[in-house]
Amino acid sequence: MSGRQRLGAADVDAFIVGLTLLGSGGGGEAEAYRHTLRAALGEGGIELGDPAEFGDAPVVAIGMLGGTRMLTEKLPGGQEIHRAVAALTRWTGVAPAAVMALEAAGLNGTLAAASAAQLGLPLLDADLMGRAMPRMDHTSRAVAGGPVTPFAMSEPSGQTLLVDAATPYGLERIARAFVAQSGGWAGTAMAPMPASEVVTDACLGSLGRALRLGRAHRELPSKSAPERVAAALGGQLLGVGRAADISRQPSTPFGRASITVLSGSDTGSDTRGGTRGGTGSGPVLRLEAENEYLLVLRDGVPVASCPDLICALDRRTATPIAVDSLRPGDDLIVVVLPGPPWWRASPERLRHVDPRAFGLGCDAVLLPEPSGAAQGLPA
Amino acid sequence: MTDGITLAALLDHPDWAEVELLAGPRRADPAIRGVLAVPDVLADPTGLAGQLLAVVLTAPRADWHLDALLHRADAGGAAAVLLPGTAPLQPASRELAERIGLPVLGAPDPLAAMLAATRLIHEPDRVVADLVTRTAATCADAGQGTDALVADLGRLWRRPVWLLDAAGQVVAGPDRAGPLPGNGDGPGDGTGGGLLERPLGARALGARLAAAVPPGVPGEVAAITAALGVAAESVGQRLAEQRLTVERDARLRMALLAEIAQSGGELSSGARRRAIDAGWQIEGWHVGIRIDVPGAVDPVAIRPEVLRAVATAHLRAVVVEQGSGWGAWSTFDHAPSPAQLQRHASAARRAQWLLRSSLPTSMGVGRAHHGVPGLIRTLSEAGDAARLATGRSTSGHYVHVDRMGLGQMLLAWTRTDTFLPAARSLLEPLHGQPGELLLTLTAFLDAESSLTETAAVLGVHRNTVAARISRVRELLAVDLADPDERLALHLACRSVVFHQ
Repeated sequence: MSGRQRLGAADVDAFIVGLTLLGSGGGGEAEAYRHTLRAALGEGGIELGDPAEFGDAPVVAIGMLGGTRMLTEKLPGGQEIHRAVAALTRWTGVAPAAVMALEAAGLNGTLAAASAAQLGLPLLDADLMGRAMPRMDHTSRAVAGGPVTPFAMSEPSGQTLLVDAATPYGLERIARAFVAQSGGWAGTAMAPMPASEVVTDACLGSLGRALRLGRAHRELPSKSAPERVAAALGGQLLGVGRAADISRQPSTPFGRASITVLSGSDTGSDTRGGTRGGTGSGPVLRLEAENEYLLVLRDGVPVASCPDLICALDRRTATPIAVDSLRPGDDLIVVVLPGPPWWRASPERLRHVDPRAFGLGCDAVLLPEPSGAAQGLPA
Repeated sequence: MTDGITLAALLDHPDWAEVELLAGPRRADPAIRGVLAVPDVLADPTGLAGQLLAVVLTAPRADWHLDALLHRADAGGAAAVLLPGTAPLQPASRELAERIGLPVLGAPDPLAAMLAATRLIHEPDRVVADLVTRTAATCADAGQGTDALVADLGRLWRRPVWLLDAAGQVVAGPDRAGPLPGNGDGPGDGTGGGLLERPLGARALGARLAAAVPPGVPGEVAAITAALGVAAESVGQRLAEQRLTVERDARLRMALLAEIAQSGGELSSGARRRAIDAGWQIEGWHVGIRIDVPGAVDPVAIRPEVLRAVATAHLRAVVVEQGSGWGAWSTFDHAPSPAQLQRHASAARRAQWLLRSSLPTSMGVGRAHHGVPGLIRTLSEAGDAARLATGRSTSGHYVHVDRMGLGQMLLAWTRTDTFLPAARSLLEPLHGQPGELLLTLTAFLDAESSLTETAAVLGVHRNTVAARISRVRELLAVDLADPDERLALHLACRSVVFHQ
């Protein structure tokens, strides 16, 4: 962490783009909360706190859970996270000294920042996923063995549920059942953890990274060369082309999609045209996705996978396109950005979020270890 | 078998009829040197070079592992990939296959397709033995006739099979579009193929059994070549048997008709019995038809063509080989009405017209007569008419006795090319003599040997006529009192005068 960062109203656009990039195609649509966040930040904005400076102060991870698309149908009342935090406080008797994002990506990152500002609590520059992940048992706290309960959920009409003494996987099932039977989504607050444990059991610097990614993205001129886009975001270009086909199969809980991206000609990054002279066109990219982009194959060879951040960007504007917004014919730049370092720190952690964890039967294909503290971003 | 079989040849083989090309370039035609089977798309086999990689259990099209398998197959140099089922590939897999130029096939039964390919590539001897055995069984079991056998062979070999005559015309087998490929018309890759032929040998000179087999699968070419040998023998034997039966039947018919003709109307009970056995109705009213052909044509061999023409013209008639042609007759239960006769005549004319397109036939039709004597009579009338018809190109070499009257017919007969030379030689002595001897003789005979009448007709003196007739008697050395000689002379005169 190169010094503390402030999140001001002027940074909202960049912050949201950065969070969307961390979403890796998932994380939910954050654009609608642009104004909510701007209003919550007010003139001064908030500081992204360093957990190390908070000693053993209790920190609560907040966010939302459920179908992100549901927010456009079941509109938020604005009090969901507040009610969840209040319920958790009443149950534990511990008032949070600070909050952090459950998931520093897309909608959840935006909501966490807005809620922190509204609650008047410090927002730590950390989260429990480091990117978008689909399930509660994908939190770093759960993988590290820490408790994920008590866990409070409050859905838009006010129904509130507190779950205690559940395993991460049990919590996931109960939480899904709750949102499915109520409003479709709920504001959540997770068991308070001492800030000292946040340092070890959370992905640090995620919000700051989102901000830096967003700013780097903002600096990109329109119609930048794909290589330049990838370099500016600190990642690697996987391919450029049109989404020729999107085949969705409802075979997994979140549904699986296979996206075929065809480039008109070789992009230069790949010169292999097949051993027997095929069509001579560019490489065939295949993106396997659930809620997020999970795996990229180039000509049948896995070239990138979760937990690295696979992003499909609009060719002209470099705007990230979510899995469920992608349409055939979209002109894309496909890039991979380094995933959160927390997950790749040990094989045990990686096992929880690699392609096999999503039933893809493939080892993780990750970018080389990022050097320096900039987490893959150019200084 | 180091060269293997090209993919196109395999796809063309009947054993692979259900295999489809799901993706990959059509133009690529890799040689397949072997088959490597794996259970599913997760497999990572080695030694793929030149092999057909067959996934025999499952290959879900949505699974990205399929793409990875295609990549591994391509990297290992596999010739093609065979998947279970003919469901289409997902676009990503299809595009990948196109890009790397790897043919991807689908088969409802990949195991069977794989085994068939293995057999064709590695065990051509077994393919040969199998086909020869089954061909021998088919030859033994097939139904009557060569057509049935040729059709059965076509079904067994799953290739078009023809029986060709010496000129290469199809005698039996499917209609063919365009000319047959000549032997060795294949791409000349040494695998043979094209039109495989096998002569039937001495029993049917020039005839041969042929099968169109695309080159490319040496096993199949060898198998069908060997099977052709077995089948040709059987077809030749069948042809010989068929010919024998035909000849025997023809001989029976001819003998029976000859017996009827010589019976003079009184048939023996044996002959009557045989006529019934032959399906001939000898009672009732008969209308005879005679079809003449030049002597070079074999009436026994060509009879089927006549029967075909007769049937096509809707002419119900019994056809019997007779000399250099056929005698035929239609039988009516009651005396035929003029309308019936009219229809019959039209049908006969149409049959003649049909025959004439391939054979130089001439047809004569007799009048309706009753009973066995009537049959003999109408056939004889038809015979006379047919002889006339030979010289009558303007009527399509068709003469109907009813149309001309008997006298007319006889007279017409004297004007034929056969009679005229005889008439000329008979009257030759009168040629060049002074005094219009030929005209005088003709007028004399026309006038019933009356000198006065003749003189009046010719406008000369009676004594002149008498003198000329006596000179004719001397020159020709004929006795004009003899009715036979008179008649012959009269006809000859008419004929020669007519032609002058």
